[in-house]
Amino acid sequence: MAETVGFWVMAVVLVGGSLGVVLSPNLFHAAVLYLPAALVATGAIFWLLESPFLFGVQLLLYAGGVVTIVVFAIMLTERLVGESIRQSSRYVFNGAVLAAAVFVGLLGFVVQRAVPPAPPAPAGEQMVALGRALVGPFGAALQLLAVLLVVALLGALYFARAED
Amino acid sequence: MPLQAYLILAALVFAIGLFGVLTRRNAVGILLGIELMLNAVNINLVAFARFRADIGGLVFTMLTIAITVAEVAVGLAIVIAIFRVRRTIEADHLDLLRG
Amino acid sequence: MRTGSPALALLVLALPAASFLVIGLLPPLRRAGRVAAAVSVAAMGGALTAAVIMWQAARAILDGPPRNPSATWSWIPADGGPMATVGVMVDELAMPMCVLVTFISFVVQVYSYAYLHDEAPPALGRYYAYQSLFAFSMLGLVLAPGFLQMFIFWELVGVCSYLLIGFWYDRPSAARAAVKAFWITKLGDLGFVAGIVMLWAATGTFDFWTLFGLADTGVLAAVPGLSTIMFLIYLGAVGKSAQFPLHVWLPDAMEGPTPVSALIHAATMVTAGVYMVARAFPLFALTPDVLSLIAWVGAFTALLAATMACVESDIKRVLAYSTVSQLGYMMAAAGAGDYHASVGHLLTHGVFKALLFLGAGVIIHVFHTNDMFRMGGLFARLPWTGVAFLVGTLALAGIPPFPGFFSKETILAAVLNGGFKLPFVMLALTSLLTAFYMFRAVFLVFFGRAHGHAEAHGVPLAMDGVCRLLAAVTVIYGLVLAFGAHHGEAPAWLPWVSMLVAGAGIALAWATYQREAIAPSRLSAALAPIDYLARRRYGLDALYAGLYRIVLLGVSRAVGWVDRYLVDGVLNVLSAAALRAGDGLRRLQTGQPQDYVYGVAVGVLLLLVWAHLTS
Repeated sequence: MAETVGFWVMAVVLVGGSLGVVLSPNLFHAAVLYLPAALVATGAIFWLLESPFLFGVQLLLYAGGVVTIVVFAIMLTERLVGESIRQSSRYVFNGAVLAAAVFVGLLGFVVQRAVPPAPPAPAGEQMVALGRALVGPFGAALQLLAVLLVVALLGALYFARAED
Repeated sequence: MPLQAYLILAALVFAIGLFGVLTRRNAVGILLGIELMLNAVNINLVAFARFRADIGGLVFTMLTIAITVAEVAVGLAIVIAIFRVRRTIEADHLDLLRG
Repeated sequence: MRTGSPALALLVLALPAASFLVIGLLPPLRRAGRVAAAVSVAAMGGALTAAVIMWQAARAILDGPPRNPSATWSWIPADGGPMATVGVMVDELAMPMCVLVTFISFVVQVYSYAYLHDEAPPALGRYYAYQSLFAFSMLGLVLAPGFLQMFIFWELVGVCSYLLIGFWYDRPSAARAAVKAFWITKLGDLGFVAGIVMLWAATGTFDFWTLFGLADTGVLAAVPGLSTIMFLIYLGAVGKSAQFPLHVWLPDAMEGPTPVSALIHAATMVTAGVYMVARAFPLFALTPDVLSLIAWVGAFTALLAATMACVESDIKRVLAYSTVSQLGYMMAAAGAGDYHASVGHLLTHGVFKALLFLGAGVIIHVFHTNDMFRMGGLFARLPWTGVAFLVGTLALAGIPPFPGFFSKETILAAVLNGGFKLPFVMLALTSLLTAFYMFRAVFLVFFGRAHGHAEAHGVPLAMDGVCRLLAAVTVIYGLVLAFGAHHGEAPAWLPWVSMLVAGAGIALAWATYQREAIAPSRLSAALAPIDYLARRRYGLDALYAGLYRIVLLGVSRAVGWVDRYLVDGVLNVLSAAALRAGDGLRRLQTGQPQDYVYGVAVGVLLLLVWAHLTS
């Protein structure tokens, strides 16, 4: 019961925040208010899906890191406020139609299958299992991720260097 | 809640993010849309991890979160660099690939 | 029947062919003109000897069924027997013809050596190469055992005619005449090839002996459309033997050297049509309506050409029209059913017409002009030439004991016996005109006042000697025919009537041109309409030229238009469309990333739809 209520509340917040991100004429509002709302709601959904660790990760990295970066970027560039939706968005109708079509397409796949029974909540520490998985079967992926992060760091440094 | 609820929610957020990517004029706005799309994917992954008792879904989610953060960093660095050169980050004006 | 040795026939064929190959393939030989001439003349002499031996040595088969006189080799293989064969057919029709062709070729080649004395040696070599090729082609035609080989050599002979008429190719009139000859004969050849192919489709063979067998057994008579087929084959003869209306090329062919005119436009090539009709006569005999058409057209051609000869002032043209007229005689005889008479006249005419042409060559050489009205009084200076020319003229006019009289007799008898009354009258009238225009020529050239300036030096021996030889042969031939076997049932009054008619023509010519008792202008005024038309060649030349210009050039202009605007147009439209499409599609590349995202999104959508449909 509580899970259901929680889900619906978080769902509303998530969808509302998403709409705000894409429809808000004020980019700053979109980035600082609506986006974190959506991200935190997503984290709550992770909690509802029995992974509190990911809830924490989401809050730290997404709601914390990504939003900060976006705010920096907005500050460093101009034109963050537009007067109307037409000024801040283009071909709204086309985009809406296409997005709706994609949604309907995905929906078609989702609803046609039978409802699988929910297995019992996994026993044992999730953290331990996650850690074992990361260094075990997914060890290679972890290493590659590390390489990717280093490369991304270097790239960002290069791009953001001062003019010489 | 059944699995379908989470999947439908994720699809909805994905569509909204797509809408944002397609319509936003500002380059940063486009990146925000991309964020939403990746978020929706994460919800999908975690839902399947829960409903199939597969730890792989959570690992996958962690990896995508890390990659997303890196991508945002680099992407915004590029946006700033473009802004320095062209003094605008409006997507309509960034048409050097025009044929 | 008598058949000759195929080996000798092949030798007769091979010698001129070898001469042509040698002269053609060895440029140094050809450029040293006189050596080429010697090679060609020697080869021709050898061929003549072989032909004579072949004829005389022909074995007489007195009993037993007729055997196939041909020796053939398979050429194009096919299932169930070869599709085409080549070889030689050496029967009583081919052998005298071989002798005629080789003899006339030989004397003409000797004569040419003197006539073309001041040609550059390379040109002389080229001339003798063509002469050898012509001799080979004509002999191949005569000895052909089937329609296919005959047709191949038929075309080859036409090519040689073109080459020899246009021998002086830098003269525009000669070039035009050569092309005209080729075109007009080609019209006839279209019918010929259509006919023989249709015949092959109906019977499966080109071979004469096989076809004669089929005609005997009645198989051929049952072939539907046989009249059409034989008519089409006859068209080839119409073109080659200058029957009306395809006769217009022969007078213009006089642009070639006179020995060439003597050889191919009097004695041999133009007679190929007559020879073909005679050769294929068992087939023509099955279609009497085509035969009567041949007779009528032959008689009409004879008369028409004779009227045109009466108003000509160029001596070679007179002889050319005379040839057309005599070819009409030959065809009329064949059409009336007696091809022996036809071939008989072919042989006599070959000899005396060659004599007349070569004599005309001497005359032209002496006077440096072809115009008879600028000649005169030559008899006093060159009496023996005059005698030779007179012998030829008497032969042509049909005066006994010269051979022309006997061969014309048989023709007139055949036409009369065949029941062709009006053609007979036409041919008789033609005899009168023939005597008239020939003696007109004789009186204008050899007698009367000397209008022209005759050459001081004499006539080369080669030319004069050949003329005298031919005159002697003519006289001997006439005596042979006079004492030889007569055949054909001619009414008793026929010889007297033809002599009377010829005499009347001679008298008229004498009165008009020698005694000048009758003014030529009054004569032409009396026959004004015919005179008017004859002088304009009955408008046929103009008609052909007009047809050519309108039809042929019109068609080619239309085809060119189609090619430029439709064929090229389609291509141009396609390429322009491609360019425009590319231009349009270029606008798809806006350079804005969001548009590309649109594309990706649409693609994803399509993938989803496809996944839905196939799940």
